[in-house]
Order: sequence, then C-alpha cells, then structure tokens
Amino acid sequence: MNTYWVAYQIALQETLQRRSTLIMDRLGGFAVVVSLYAFWTALIGDKATFLGYTRGEMLTYVLALNVLRSFVFTGRGWQLVGEISSGKISSYLIRPLHYYGYALALDMAQKTVHVAASIVEVTLLALLVQGELFLPSDPATWLLFGAAVLLSSLIFFFLEFMISSLAFWTSESGGPLFCFELFLQFAAGAFFPLDVLPLALRRILEMTPFPYMVFFPVRIFLEKVPPAEALSLIGMQALWLAAVFTAAMMVWKRGVSSYSAEGG
Amino acid sequence: MALAIETKGLTKDYRSPLKEPGLWGGVKSLFDRKYKDTRAVDGVSFSIEEGELVGFLGANGAGKTTTLKMLSGLLTPTAGTATALGHVPWKREPSFQRTISLVMGQRSQLWWEIPAYETFKLNQAIYGLSDADFRRHLDELVELLELGEHLAVPVKKLSLGQRMRCELAAALLHRPRLLLLDEPTIGLDVVMQKNVREFIKAYNKRSGATIMLTSHNMTDVVELCKRVIVIEKGRLLYDGALDRLVERYADHKILRARFTTDVEPDDLKSLGSVVKYEDRTVTLEVPRAKMAASAAALLGSYPVADLNVEEVAIDDIVRRLFTHAA
Repeated sequence: MNTYWVAYQIALQETLQRRSTLIMDRLGGFAVVVSLYAFWTALIGDKATFLGYTRGEMLTYVLALNVLRSFVFTGRGWQLVGEISSGKISSYLIRPLHYYGYALALDMAQKTVHVAASIVEVTLLALLVQGELFLPSDPATWLLFGAAVLLSSLIFFFLEFMISSLAFWTSESGGPLFCFELFLQFAAGAFFPLDVLPLALRRILEMTPFPYMVFFPVRIFLEKVPPAEALSLIGMQALWLAAVFTAAMMVWKRGVSSYSAEGG
Repeated sequence: MALAIETKGLTKDYRSPLKEPGLWGGVKSLFDRKYKDTRAVDGVSFSIEEGELVGFLGANGAGKTTTLKMLSGLLTPTAGTATALGHVPWKREPSFQRTISLVMGQRSQLWWEIPAYETFKLNQAIYGLSDADFRRHLDELVELLELGEHLAVPVKKLSLGQRMRCELAAALLHRPRLLLLDEPTIGLDVVMQKNVREFIKAYNKRSGATIMLTSHNMTDVVELCKRVIVIEKGRLLYDGALDRLVERYADHKILRARFTTDVEPDDLKSLGSVVKYEDRTVTLEVPRAKMAASAAALLGSYPVADLNVEEVAIDDIVRRLFTHAA
C-alpha cells in the first residue's frame, strides 16, 4: 500500500511541476465549459424548461461537467500506450509492483490537482451566473453523488487501461484510444444530457457502461432520480466496475505475456 | 559455491510481421500478414557462480540483450530452462524481483521532471526498505558515485553522465544480489566511463553480488571481467577466461619494424600480412610459427633501425571474433 501512496505523492509533485501543461489542460477544459454554457443559454432563451431541465438545472449540468471531466476523464491511457511502445514498461515489469495500482495512484494524483482547479473555475463561473444554479440541499444527495463519481472514475480508469493495453499487440494503439475517448464523451453525456437523444438510441446506450460515467451521476446530483433509483444506479455502476476491472486485468495479463513472448 | 545463474539450451525466437515494400505492400499486409521467425538466442547453456563478474560479449544482434531480458524475467524463452538465484525468472515472483536489477544504458527508470531522490523514495517503497537501510544504502551509493548535489536537481537537467550514475543508484538501492548491466557506459565520456567501471568493480567486491555485463567498450571488459561469455548469432561461441581467449583466437603476433630508408611494402608480403606502412614503419601480422623466420628475414635483408614483437590486444581479438562472425 505504501508504494502506491508514495507514487501518489511523487506524481502530485510532478503534475505541479509541469505548470504549463497543467494550465493548457485547464484552459482547454474551461473553453469547453464556456462554449457549452453559451450554447445552452442560447437554446433555452426565455423558456422556463427545456427538455425537462430548468435553466438553472441545465447550467448546473454544464458546470458539473467541468468537475466531472476533471475527475472522471483523466486517465493514464496515453502514458501507458507510450510506455508500452517505447519499452519503458519493462522497468516496471521487473520490479515487484502492480502496474495498474501504480497507474491508478498516478491517476489519483492528477485528479486531485485537476479537481481542485476545476472547483476554483466552477466557483468563478457560478459567481458570474449568480444564483441560478441548482444545489441539492439534502446531504444524502451529495453522498450518493460522491459515491457515483468515485465509481465512474474507476470505471473510466479500467476501461481506458484495457484499451491502452492493446498497445502490447499493435504499435498503432493510439488510434483505438483516440476513438474511444471521442465516443466516450458523447455516449457518457459529457457534451449534452442524454435525454436529448431519441429514446431508442438512449436505451441502447444505457446497456453500455458509458451513461454511468457522467449522465447518471449528474442526474443524481440534480435529484432527477429518487434515492432508491439512485442506489440501484450505483449498484449497476459497481457491477460495471467489476466487469471492466476483470476484463482489463485479462487483457493486461495477456498483453504482458505476449510482450514477454514477442520481445520488449 | 552456489550457482547464481544456470541456463540449459536457452532459446528465444522472435516473430515479426513481414511487409512488402511500398504502398501496395502495406495494403496487402492489412489482409494477409506474413510473419518471420528469427532465432535470437539458440540453445545457450552456461552457469555463473555467486559473486562472479562476467562479461557478455557479442556483435550487435548476437542475442546478448535478449539473454539478459530472459534472465531478468522480462522475456519468456521459446525453449530451454534458466534459473537465477534459484528462481525461474519469467515467473516474476516478487521474492525474485526484490533481489535482482537490470540496467539498460539507453532506458531510464527515473522520473524526468523531478529530482532523482524522489525515484529513490519510490524504490524504497517498492522494495520495502526500512528508513535506516534506505539511508545507509543511499549514503554509500552517493559516496561511491559522487552524486551529492545531483540528487536535488530535476533529472531532465542532469548531464548524461550524472543521469547514468543516478540510474545505477536507483537500480542498486535495494542491494540486488544479481545485477544485469546492458551497456552501462554507453554515451559516457572517458572519465565517466572510468568512474562507472570503478564503481561496478567496487560494488561487486563490497556486496559480493553477481554481475553480468554487456559492453561494446573493450576497456570495460578487460578491466572488469576475468571471465567472458561470447555469443555469435545466438549461439555460445566461447565461455572461459579472458586470457585464454587470446591464446585461442590470436594465432598470430604483431611484428613492427622501422627502417632507415624507404621500403616497398609489397616486397614484405612474403613475411606476413601488411597491416600498415607509413613513416618508414611497417606493421605486420605474422603467424606464431613463422615469427622467428620472418624476424630473421627482415633483419637480414632490410635496413632495420628498430624492431619489436607484440601480442595482439584483447579488444582486437574480440573485434576480430565479431567481424569474423558477421
């Protein structure tokens, strides 16, 4: 356990050390939020509700996206792809270490910094829109939301870990990872609430883990689902996490043994 | 003495996709990919006792790195067996991994953006070293490798030599009993090469660790290793004392003569093969058996001012071994 705690601390230092990368990342994410904000404000116009969301709820959705992107969508996929293609992965494989635990520790460090930054950004934006946001008053909602977000981020981590592990077989695994990330943002509800989509498409998406990563957690936050349903959504998240974790470990193990067979 | 390493018929094939040249070849390989198996290591057997420092020699692509990767557990062999410190390396048991280290001169385990000290702290946690052991081992390494002020500087700001020394320290912090070094002096200047060599020697003496090293730098090998293992195209070519390599492969000696007047070098061909002729000095390679006769003939028929006979340098022999093999 100590290993991963030390790795977390070192990664925290390193993330802070790379100031310009951090600032660029934040600016990019901020630009997305501002443009979504402008987009939805224009769409809603003078209407009281739009697609079942009040103006305040929609704006909350957009701002919550900024925090969620920072916490959920910051994996270590590109690093893994890079370390596999460059062979640096070897230096981990010969040390008594679980690489996925190590990568998760690094990921948590990155999330810590990004979430802190996103909270500052969101507070600034919230002050600008003044009082229109929806903030749940029930502490249970916050608790459920917290649990949902933690599970989301783990689902994302292992899903990305699995796809990045394809780099063990192909030198071009950046491709799948890139497609995955694009599709994910759409299917998870990171561009717009999935209610916007035709029902049939929504039903299909709900059979995948994607809506559990952004759309459902935000709905829990907006109290759009009753607590009992929220609990069952979290239960589904836990099942997805177990499935994704198992699959990721299988792919990783096969990847490592193929790496060992083919040469590093 | 116990054996640190024992391999029997160790063999490794690599499979790589074949691609025909050009765009059409690329399209074809999308649908019908053909593979080629290359045998990188071919039935290699040797054993190394604990505490030995062995040089592992061979031309590029001879299979040295592949062998080291199998011994460290990174690669699974296609055939054959190996044990290192009593373990099958590619099972990657933590109890094995805690006692070995593999250093590849061109690969880094250090974190780039932050000081090397942080990587050391991480390794302390990974290898489960107590604070006291960590301090003791680190102090010793800092002293031997003259790391001092470099520990606090982000790794990317270090020179190659400083980085390489930090790399060695990171690899040795847990006091591995088996150390596999792949080109440890590559890219270093002559002074640094010497420092690293002295360090390796000192580490071997002080800790009694078994060390196996590959190098293209013959000075490394000559100064560090009494025993060498030479492989060629994946096969074991020689395993034994470095000195004996000379006797076995140097079937000739070097005869050097300086003349008082110009001589036609072509006329000297009957005495031995002319390696060089300049400034009225000729360098000849003469078979051992012919040496006395050639020297006598030279002295009798030419205006010789000075003459000497030398053994072939070890690095020349090894180089010859490789070029011969290639």
